[in-house]
Amino acid sequence: MPEIVLENLVKEYSGGIRASDELSLTIHDGEYLCLLGPTGAGKTTALRMICGLTAPDSGRVLFDGQDLAGIPISERRATMLSQSYALFPNMDVYHNVVFSPVIKRWSEEDTKQLARSMIDMVHMGKKVKNYPRELSGGQQQRTALARAMASDSKVLLLDEPLRALDARLRIELRKELKSMVKEMGLTSVHVTHDQDEAMEVADRIAIIRHGRIIQVGTPKEIFQNPATPFVANFLGRSNIFAGKFVGNDAGHSVIELRDGIRVKARPADLEPGQEAVVAVKVGSTVPELVGGVKDVQDSHLPDTLPDGYFTGNVERVLYEGSTITIETNVKGLGIVSAQRSSRRFEYYKPGSRVIVTWQPAKASVFPMPESGLAQEMRLD
Amino acid sequence: MSLVAAFNRLSDNAGVRKAWLGLVCAIFVCIIIVPSVFVVTKVFTDWDLVSGVLGDSAKMRVIGGAVWNSFSIAFIVTIVDVLVGLPIAWILVRKSFRGKRALDTLLDMPLAFPTAVLGLSVVMFWGAPEGVTIPGLGLHLSPYVMIILLHFIFTYPYMVRSLSAILEQIEPNYETAAMTLGASRLTAVRTITLPLFRAGLVTGITLCFARSLSETGGTYIALTLMGSQSSFFTGPTYIAENGGSVLSGEMIVISVIMILLALFLLVAVKGIIGHFHINATKVWPQVGRKLSRGAAPKAKDGLALAFMVLIILLPSFYIFTYLSEPASVDTSALLGSIGISFLVAGVAVVFDIVFGIPLALYIARHHGSKPAAVLDELVNIPLIIPTTALGLSLALFWGGANSTGAVAVVLVILGHISFTYPLVVRNITGAVEEVDPAMEETAQTLGAKPLQAFTKILFPIIKPSVIAGAILAFTRSLGETGATVAISGAVNTVPVYIVNLVKSGQKLADPSYYAQAAMCSIVLIAICFVLMFAVRIIMHRGEDHA
Repeated sequence: MPEIVLENLVKEYSGGIRASDELSLTIHDGEYLCLLGPTGAGKTTALRMICGLTAPDSGRVLFDGQDLAGIPISERRATMLSQSYALFPNMDVYHNVVFSPVIKRWSEEDTKQLARSMIDMVHMGKKVKNYPRELSGGQQQRTALARAMASDSKVLLLDEPLRALDARLRIELRKELKSMVKEMGLTSVHVTHDQDEAMEVADRIAIIRHGRIIQVGTPKEIFQNPATPFVANFLGRSNIFAGKFVGNDAGHSVIELRDGIRVKARPADLEPGQEAVVAVKVGSTVPELVGGVKDVQDSHLPDTLPDGYFTGNVERVLYEGSTITIETNVKGLGIVSAQRSSRRFEYYKPGSRVIVTWQPAKASVFPMPESGLAQEMRLD
Repeated sequence: MSLVAAFNRLSDNAGVRKAWLGLVCAIFVCIIIVPSVFVVTKVFTDWDLVSGVLGDSAKMRVIGGAVWNSFSIAFIVTIVDVLVGLPIAWILVRKSFRGKRALDTLLDMPLAFPTAVLGLSVVMFWGAPEGVTIPGLGLHLSPYVMIILLHFIFTYPYMVRSLSAILEQIEPNYETAAMTLGASRLTAVRTITLPLFRAGLVTGITLCFARSLSETGGTYIALTLMGSQSSFFTGPTYIAENGGSVLSGEMIVISVIMILLALFLLVAVKGIIGHFHINATKVWPQVGRKLSRGAAPKAKDGLALAFMVLIILLPSFYIFTYLSEPASVDTSALLGSIGISFLVAGVAVVFDIVFGIPLALYIARHHGSKPAAVLDELVNIPLIIPTTALGLSLALFWGGANSTGAVAVVLVILGHISFTYPLVVRNITGAVEEVDPAMEETAQTLGAKPLQAFTKILFPIIKPSVIAGAILAFTRSLGETGATVAISGAVNTVPVYIVNLVKSGQKLADPSYYAQAAMCSIVLIAICFVLMFAVRIIMHRGEDHA
C-alpha cells in the first residue's frame, strides 16, 4: 500500500477561490488519516486531486515517490467513496460490488470469490439481489464500501462517508468502517467536518483551513497541543482570551487579560508586552463556587488548582447527560464556559458567584494572529 | 472486443476527448445552426432582389399582412394558452382524482396528431367546407379566427406540459407556509408560487409562440378548405404558396423578417419575464379571501376544463367521423410517402442521438460555464425559427434549391435534423442534470475508463429519456410540412401528400379527395399514437426504476 505525498498543491477555481493553497501533506503507508476542516476549507478538492478527478494548477501528487501527473483516474487505484455513495442505480448489490473486477476482466472464479468475501464482510449477504433504492442508508454505505474494497485499490478516499446517516447510526458505523478498512490495510483519507468522528476514527488528523494544512498529528496531540487558536477551538471547544504576555515564571507563563486580571498558562516563547491569545479547553476550565469547598479538578494529580484568576456570576447551567456546561458571565471578558461532570449539577445555580481557574499546563498561549482574533476564530 | 478496448483506452486521453467534443460542436454549428439562419446573409449578397421587393409597396403590403397575421395569432394563442393552461396544470400536479392518468394522456394526444391532419379536422368541426359531407357546426368564421382555433390545439399541450413540469418542482410547502402565516390561497399563489413560475412560463411561451409561428401544413389546409389560401396568408403559408425554395426577393424578405422577429421575441420574453416583478407587498386580503373560496375557484377550473374539451379535444378527434364512411385510399402512393416519412424521421433521429448526446453531456456537466451557456442558448435557435424559413434557408445554404431525387431527400433530412435536434438535446440535458456526477466519477476511480463510465453507468440511467426524446423528435418530424415543402416540392412525405390531396380536391372541386386525405390522416395518427404510447410506457418504466 502506498505512501501518499502531496507537494505544494495549488488549485484555484474561477472567481479566484483558492481551494488549495500550497497544500502539502504526507499520508503514511496503511494509515487512516482524517482530513478535518470547516465547510469550504478545500477538503474535497484535496481528495479529488489525489484520485485525479481534479487536476492541480501546480504541485505534485506522489504515490510511493511516483509522480501521478498524466496517470488517468482509472489507473491510479485510488477509489472514492462519496457522501452520496453513488451506488449505480441500474445494478443490484452484487453487480455494484463486482463492477471493478468486471471492468478489469478478472476471471469469473476470482470475481465470484472476491465478491462473496466482500459482501460477507459488510454483512450484505441477504441483499445481493436488491437494487440500491431498496436499501437503507446504512446498507447503501456498506455496499459502497464493499464495492470500493473489491476493486484492488490501494488507496481509499472517503468523502464525508457518514454524512447522510442518522446521528445514532453514524456513531455506530464509524467504528465498523475503520476496523474494516484497517483490516484491508488500505491507505485511507477520510474527509469530515465532524470533530468527534475524526477523533474517534483517525490514526492521525490533518486540520485543513483555507486550502492549507494547519496541523497534523494524532488526535491526542492536536487536542492537547493545538497549533493555533482556531485549532484549539475547532477540535474540542475552548475559551479564548486575548491579552498581553507578561513573562515566564516557574513552569508557567503569565498573561494579563485586562488591568488586574492575570492568568497562568504553559511557558511560551514570547516577548514581554507582546499581544497574545490564551486558549483553554472548556473541560479544563474550572468554576469554583465562592465560599464552597475547595474544588480539585483532577483528584489523582498531586498538585491542586491555582487560586482563581477572575470571578463572575453563573448565568446558565445546561444539563447534557453525563456532563453539564456552566456559562459564567465575567465582567470585561464576557461568557466563559466550563464543562464538568453532571454529578456537580446540584451545586451550580444561575446567579451563583464563582471564581474561574485552570491548571497552567492545560492552557495554550499563541502570539496574536496577524489577521486579528475575530478573523482567526471564524468557522466558515 | 479489442476495438472496444482501444476506444476505451483512447477515452483516457484528454486531448482525444476535447477533439471529439470539438467535432460535435463543429457539426452542430455547421450543419444545424449556420444553415438555419443562412438566409439572413442573402440580404447583403442579394440586395438587388431584396430592394426590389422593399420598393414594391403592393408586395410589401401582402408580406407585412402575412407577418402581422403570424405574430398576432401567435400572441393571442400564447396568452390564452397561459390563462387556460395554468388551472389545468394545477389540477394535474396538485390534485389527485380518479381518471387523472387518463386526463394526462388525453392532453398529450394532440401532440401525436400531425398538424396537417388537425387543419382538416378543425375546419370540419367548426365550419362546413364546401364538398365535405360530414356535418360540422357550420359556423362561418373568418380565416383569422379559424387559424387561431387551430393553433390552440397544438400549442396548448406544450404550455400545460411546461407549466406542470415547473409546478412539480415547486413544493406546496411554500404555499402552505404562506397560508399558515395568514395569506388566503389566492394571495399565497399570486405572491409566492407565481413568481417561482418564471422559468416554466418562459419555456411554455417560447414553445407555444415558436410552434404557432412555424406551423404550415395545418394552416395551409385549413385555408385551402376555406378557399382563402391565396387571399389570406401567414408567414409560412406565404412561403409555401409562393413557390417554396425558389430564391426570390419576397422569400428572402419574409424569411428574414420572420427569423429576426422570432429571435428578438425570444430574447424579449426572457428579459421581460425574468425581470417582471410581482408586488408581494400589495395585497387585497378581502378580495383574495372571497375569490379563494366558494364558486370562484370552481368556475375557474370548470371554464378551463370546458375550454380543453370544446376547443382542444373535440375538434382534434373530429376527423375520426370519417371512419363512418370510409373512402378508398391510393395504397401504393400512401405507402410510398410513409416510407419516405420514416426514412427522413429515422435518419434524422439517429443523427440527433449520436451527435446530441455529447453536446447534452457537455451542457449538463458544465452548468454555469460560459461556453456551455452559449451552446445552451444556440440549441434553442432552430426551435424558434419558423420551420418554413428554416427550410428555405437550408436549401439556399446547401445550394440545392429545387433539387430532386436523392439530393432532395438528403436536404430534407438535414432540415428535419435542424428542428428535431433541440428536442433530443433538451430531453437528454434534463436527464443528465438529474444524475449525480459522483456516479461516473466513482466508476472511474474504480477503474473504469471515461467511455466505460458512460456506457456502463450513465447511458443506462438516462436511456428512458433518450428514447423519449427520440420518439418526440420522430413524431415531430413525421408531422412536419413547412420545412419539407420549403426545401423541395419533390419529397412526398405523408403530411405533404395530405396537403396535396386537399389542394387537388379544392382545385378540382372533388370532395372524394378530402375523404382520401382524411383516411390517410387517420393512418398517420394511428402510427403516431403507437409511438406516443411507447413513450408513455418507457417513461413510466423509467419512473418505477428511479
